[in-house]
Amino acid sequence: MVSKKICYLAAACLVQHAALAAGALPATPRFVEETETAGLQSRFEGGDEFMVGGGTAVFDCDADGLPEVYVTGGVNKAKFYRNQSKRGGPIKLQEQRSGLELTNATGAYPIDIDADGNSDLVVLRVGELEVFRGLGQCKFERANERWNIPPSNDWHTAFSATWEKGQTLPTLAFGSYYDRSRPDFPWGTCTPGFLLRPDASGKAFAAPEKLTPSYCALSMLFSDWNRSGQASLRIANDREYYQGGQEQLWKVTPGTPAALYTDKDGWKHLQVWGMGIAGHDIDGDGYPEYFITSMADNKFQKLEGDASRPTYFDQAYKRGITAHRPYVGGDFHPSTAWHAQFADANNDGWADLFIVKGNVSTMPDFAILDPNNLLLQEPDGHFTEVGQQAGVASFKRGRGGMMADLNGDGLLDMVVVNRQDKAQLWRHVGSGNAEKPAPMGRWVQFRLQQGGGNRDAIGAWVEVDLGGRMERQELSIGGGHASGHLGWMHLGLGETKDVKLRVQWPHGEWGPWLTMAADAFYVINRETGVQAWKAP
Amino acid sequence: MKIRTIVLAAAATLATLQSPAVLAQPGPAVLAKPASAYSSGVVYDWFYLAFQLIQQTPGFSPPVAARALGYMGLTLYESVVPGMPGYQSLAGQINELSSLPWAQPDEPLHWPTVANASLATMTRMMFSNASAENKARIDTLERSLPLKYTQDFDPNSVTAEITNRSETFGKLMGMAIMTWARTDGGHEAWGPIRRHQQNYVPPSGTGKWSATPPAFAPALLPYWGKNRPFVMKTADDCPAPPPPAYSEEQGTAFYKDGLEVYQIANAATQEQRQFALYWADDAGKTPTPAGHWAYVANDLLRAKKADLGSAAEVFARLNMAMSDAFVAAWNTKYKLNVLRPVTYIQLVIDSNWTPSLLPTPPFPDYPSGHSVQSSAAAAILGREFGATTAFVDNTHNDRGWGPRTFKNFKAAADEAAASRMYAGIHYRFASDGGKPQGQCAADKVLALKFKR
Repeated sequence: MVSKKICYLAAACLVQHAALAAGALPATPRFVEETETAGLQSRFEGGDEFMVGGGTAVFDCDADGLPEVYVTGGVNKAKFYRNQSKRGGPIKLQEQRSGLELTNATGAYPIDIDADGNSDLVVLRVGELEVFRGLGQCKFERANERWNIPPSNDWHTAFSATWEKGQTLPTLAFGSYYDRSRPDFPWGTCTPGFLLRPDASGKAFAAPEKLTPSYCALSMLFSDWNRSGQASLRIANDREYYQGGQEQLWKVTPGTPAALYTDKDGWKHLQVWGMGIAGHDIDGDGYPEYFITSMADNKFQKLEGDASRPTYFDQAYKRGITAHRPYVGGDFHPSTAWHAQFADANNDGWADLFIVKGNVSTMPDFAILDPNNLLLQEPDGHFTEVGQQAGVASFKRGRGGMMADLNGDGLLDMVVVNRQDKAQLWRHVGSGNAEKPAPMGRWVQFRLQQGGGNRDAIGAWVEVDLGGRMERQELSIGGGHASGHLGWMHLGLGETKDVKLRVQWPHGEWGPWLTMAADAFYVINRETGVQAWKAP
Repeated sequence: MKIRTIVLAAAATLATLQSPAVLAQPGPAVLAKPASAYSSGVVYDWFYLAFQLIQQTPGFSPPVAARALGYMGLTLYESVVPGMPGYQSLAGQINELSSLPWAQPDEPLHWPTVANASLATMTRMMFSNASAENKARIDTLERSLPLKYTQDFDPNSVTAEITNRSETFGKLMGMAIMTWARTDGGHEAWGPIRRHQQNYVPPSGTGKWSATPPAFAPALLPYWGKNRPFVMKTADDCPAPPPPAYSEEQGTAFYKDGLEVYQIANAATQEQRQFALYWADDAGKTPTPAGHWAYVANDLLRAKKADLGSAAEVFARLNMAMSDAFVAAWNTKYKLNVLRPVTYIQLVIDSNWTPSLLPTPPFPDYPSGHSVQSSAAAAILGREFGATTAFVDNTHNDRGWGPRTFKNFKAAADEAAASRMYAGIHYRFASDGGKPQGQCAADKVLALKFKR
């Protein structure tokens, strides 16, 4: 295979791209839109205060292994959908009253805060944050008072969570946008984000710890960038409204206030219209790279040198994931990118990149016809756009989204929330079609479990041996754009039938190598080991 | 650089290979020519329009005009710097501007189109309160320049795809810089800032500024000195030397300079009166002082047949320095709050006196803003075109006052500084004290690393 790591020589570029042009594309997954037939009927609407946000939460709250879908609606009420799909079949969602039908909701992230095995839900809103405690069987109760969530009337736009060492409750990070009382002159009025850390009782949160300075965060992600065992908080900030701002990385050390990494630590200033974050170890060096969405100047950040300093440089161009303008539709204006997620869309063992795109409103200098991206990673680390061939090149005004297996067939389906338009849903039909889906590569899905507070082992790293190559995934809560997922971790395996896998549990300890058959679901318990999971 | 050029050329070929649209309608060969391969015609016309917009748009007092020109100069430079081999973005060297969008290495751009789009975008945003007629002029200019400068916009040498791509890159750069500009403290000075500052009360006391006849207008832009400069870390980085201690006693330095204003203004020669009017550069009637100097630069660049990259470099340096000079001057003005000669003379020398040539501007005296920014401009232009270069100033030809020839930039700046004393609106110490402050602002800009 011709290497495309870097096109140092023009001739090499020509040869390799000619090969691509000749049809040597990665296996292209096929998606079929099932918005209507699935029963998804939700629109994210509202004025200026809803120009950002538009998230979805995907999580299983009835223990049937199929995730439910919660979709925010802006000024419309958010909707909760129980997943009634049959495994491998068309996706069926049934709207159900859940107590989560909030107006002004802009984003949502599932998380099991109290480790009772029931997913709780953090709902970001224009106005009061709301945190709901899962009661099982998809029933929820408001828990702001129970957990001491502070009152706030800000424009909440970002969330992430981690479990600090020794804590039963998580540390929650919230980001907000500009001052709602200053719509006449919003520039430079970004309101402060904050951390909620467990109080001394371990049953509720202490007073907020402000993250100052804050720069209009649109995405937050706790991620262990240097594999120290302790996640730091990465924040994507929107240059449109901040003064003197930049992308941020906060060091969150137990027992001490969060501290910004600065240029003295090696952090390089970067200003973009930061809107979303996706992290994944793409190059197999053991450390995560990060994709930051923006308006045209999306970044793919890789560590420079070793992990002793958080110094990143951009590789978006090198890897073919600048995604800076539409690839189909004829609109030549720059793109506006929001949700981003690394996931293996074709189960070939290489993480792909899903990006949700859409104009802020009707900005004439940015693409109006701005299709979502599905960029497939090739073995040489280069990505190829297949959004159109895959059938997901939606031209609606996209915001949040999620790739997750909604019908339990090992293929990742897709939900997208669109501003001033209906949300959309696509079923992944592998290499087949709607009538006759066909498998596409092997896969494995699993949930991690451990005792103590962090039941879902958030912060764990999973390492899979794919025939001498290691594929790694970090289990995190946060990132994307206003959209969260809690449930099965999914790994594509290519042709690997029996997979060797091990887990680095939160805060450092490696579990043993485990061998599992492909195309199945498992629960990996830190204390008791691996167990196959069967649908009820 | 050679390798990069080869890759660009190869990428251009690739684009032809890969794009079905291009395959169907093969375009001309694409050459990624640098910005230096094009004339600065686009730049000339955009700044020429800006000078007129400054005159005709409400709120464009001298500091506001200098700020607008500063952002236009920087935007122009940043939009074409990817096409200037050996040069680099100023992001990272400028206050609170860490990074800007960068051109994609595999997408050749047409730099005159990029410059046209970026300057159109920035002009629209900077003059967002322009009249409908002037907004239409902005649109018309953007559309007409490719027709006017056919040697730069030869349709046989650039594809529609490259034109579109270049337009979007120019606009993107304009928008990125505008997001930063909005937070400098001077954004839309005629609107929200004016409303928030209308309750400013100047400090009172002996020797302090108070509103002046005949209009007794409120203080203009009292917080402009707190604006974020382009290059100085803060306005305090370039202080003016202290003025003489305030005194109403005869024989003191302050009294002496006050009396001099009274005497010169009353007995000004015809030449001094002409100088006073020539450099008045009033808002609403002229491009203001910064526009005056930028006008000179624009003419010089055209006379020199400067290329696009060179013009971008000159306007980035000159206009940022002049804007910073105003911030520094305003910082000192409102810190010291020195009263104007008209107030002093009426109090101490002649209670019926008013300057006859120009009304006293509505802000404190020290230092002379004209002096500060003219000194900065002369320092930049001296470096760009030669300290001993003579030049012709055509700024006021339309008023019948030109062309005028100056033996060098410093001579013109000295005349501009002295003109304020001839007009009876500044003390000599204000004209002299502004010069080192302007030089300082220019030096900071001249220290920027434009080249890699």
